Amino acid sequence: MTSTSPLANVQINFNAEWNPRTRRVGVIARKIGNYPIWLKNGKKVQTTLLQVIDNHVIKYIPPEEFKPMLIRKPNWREKRTLGCLLVGAETIDPSTVTKDYCGLFNATGMLPKRYLCRFMITPNAALPPGTPLLATHYRVGDYLDIRAKTIDRGFQGVMKRWGFKGMPASHGVTKTHRRPGNIGSGGGKARVWPGTKMPGHMGNSTKAGSKIEIAGSEIEWKFATRIEIENENKMKKIKCVIKIRISEGKKMQTDTSTRVWRTLRGVKILRIDTKHNVLWTLGVAIPGETGAMCYLFDTVLPLRRHKEPPPFPTHPPSADLPIEYIHESVHDFSDPTITFEDN
Amino acid sequence: MFLNVPQDEKRRKKWFQAVLRDNPKTKSNFFCCEDHFDFECSGRRKNPEEEGVAAPTEEGEASETVQERSGRCVRKPSLAEEYKQAYPEFLPDPNPKWRNSLREKLERMDMLKRRNQIDIPEFYVGSILAVTISDPHAQGKTNRFVGICIERKGCGLRAEFTLRNVVDHHGVEVRYELYDPTIQQIQVLRLEKRLDNKLFYLRDALPEYSTFPFDMEPEILPEGAPIPVNPIKVQLKKRPWLERWERQELQGVYKISKMINKKQKKNRILRREPWVKYDLMKEYRLTAGVIGWPAARRARAQYLYVKCSKAHERETEFKFVTCPNTLGSVGHAVRRAVA
Repeated sequence: MTSTSPLANVQINFNAEWNPRTRRVGVIARKIGNYPIWLKNGKKVQTTLLQVIDNHVIKYIPPEEFKPMLIRKPNWREKRTLGCLLVGAETIDPSTVTKDYCGLFNATGMLPKRYLCRFMITPNAALPPGTPLLATHYRVGDYLDIRAKTIDRGFQGVMKRWGFKGMPASHGVTKTHRRPGNIGSGGGKARVWPGTKMPGHMGNSTKAGSKIEIAGSEIEWKFATRIEIENENKMKKIKCVIKIRISEGKKMQTDTSTRVWRTLRGVKILRIDTKHNVLWTLGVAIPGETGAMCYLFDTVLPLRRHKEPPPFPTHPPSADLPIEYIHESVHDFSDPTITFEDN
Repeated sequence: MFLNVPQDEKRRKKWFQAVLRDNPKTKSNFFCCEDHFDFECSGRRKNPEEEGVAAPTEEGEASETVQERSGRCVRKPSLAEEYKQAYPEFLPDPNPKWRNSLREKLERMDMLKRRNQIDIPEFYVGSILAVTISDPHAQGKTNRFVGICIERKGCGLRAEFTLRNVVDHHGVEVRYELYDPTIQQIQVLRLEKRLDNKLFYLRDALPEYSTFPFDMEPEILPEGAPIPVNPIKVQLKKRPWLERWERQELQGVYKISKMINKKQKKNRILRREPWVKYDLMKEYRLTAGVIGWPAARRARAQYLYVKCSKAHERETEFKFVTCPNTLGSVGHAVRRAVA
């Protein structure tokens, strides 16, 4: 047991070249609320605050070793070019989780994390285990894709769940104001067709078995994977089957009607607080309630993706950063009152 | 309101000594009537070890001690209570689902940054304000509006208030965001309160009640003076009204019962909810301790005082009083304790 913590000397390769085909790692954040800020032209905009909580790289799996257990049929022509970077957020007490779960983090010498996420990256964006990921991973003016679980709305009728029109409130209509109406025909097909829009559970569903409890931490799975964990002295290998959600790049094989996860694409960052690691993003449509976990990615939208190199592979941790970055269009509250020029 | 007698043995003993009662050996819940605690005296709650407790007692001594104490200490409203009223937007959101301590901290920092730029004065519903705002479409690029504040709402950076005035025989209402950086100046022309928390009934009142000249001079209160409450009763126009004002228990409306017919009077009585003002939890949930809380507490204390004094008059043994509308569990526990 003479191994030293790899955290002591994390060497990040900052010489790696960024090109438009590169895929960087993302971060895990918590949605902490909304409040309005004002632009320099006097317009009020609503923002959502996302706090990047205690993110560290846990493990890098290169493309040739990365063999996720796929639910869909593998496409053999597809060449695996993306590696996988396991990122954890929010450190927890190791005594509250199982030994197997702690084993995931032993190799990096870290305490276990409550949330894990696998980010699919190109090999040049790889980061060594133990690298902290901060809000400075992004810059103001960048665009994000934000993936999170939707608000749990419980069992809902068709009007709320599917936006059906319902039926009139009066003119002789009785007892069918919010009902779906006809759901199919008789004759040879006298049954309900699969996929018919019906009342049911809306949002954040656990119905499809999409959420499992592993060692006190909620890890959502869509694809299961087998991770071999090498313990410190490498004497024995613990094989632990842990089902972790593949975060990006794969089309989800979910029942779309439940709409558990949702990705909001192209969200602009207006302001960054480097002290508390908070991002102010434009708009309030980020899925999930206050306190929900979100997974942030560089956007894939063609007109909003990075034109110039972002902090790559990530922003180096440094002490002498300004506390706040504010986008040029945004009014800083410590600036004097906005006045309009006569021209 | 009732205060839970602590379960800890030492403290429990002291409490029972203070209330001149034998310490029962049971561990069941006991409650003390709020009226016999002196909250405002020291600004601290539930601290019988240091303050000494006046107690629900059987003897006539009780009234003496109460009188003594009330003579001794000057009842001052605490500073926190004052700030709650003056700067309600600094209180957390009433909806606990939206609370987050870090977000609130960042938001408050932004609010204070803005307050370093302009003076956002203390004002209340009923105060008369003049607001100057940058307006790209106005002549001279600024716009000044004078009016009476008829509503204040929202917390944090989304705090807002509404001003009402009658300009050229037209009622005009403008809603301003308190922390909008285009606001150049907020001037309080007359600092006062009205009898109600919302003055929407001015929309149905005669126009002279919401007409204020734009060249009004600011009236300055002497320093340290309490905020005056304007007891004006507003004369409403004839029906039809925008809302059923008669059902809202408004204090600032002149003889509303004379303006409604028999049927409306009957319905008004039917829909009356006299218990709501005692529902502390409802009040708290709606306001997070902002506006209604002290008023409700006062009402409740008064109610209990009347009840207690009646009990004294009858020279009956004073037990822990129950209010008809306390939380069920409390009432239940009290009953058990008495039995």
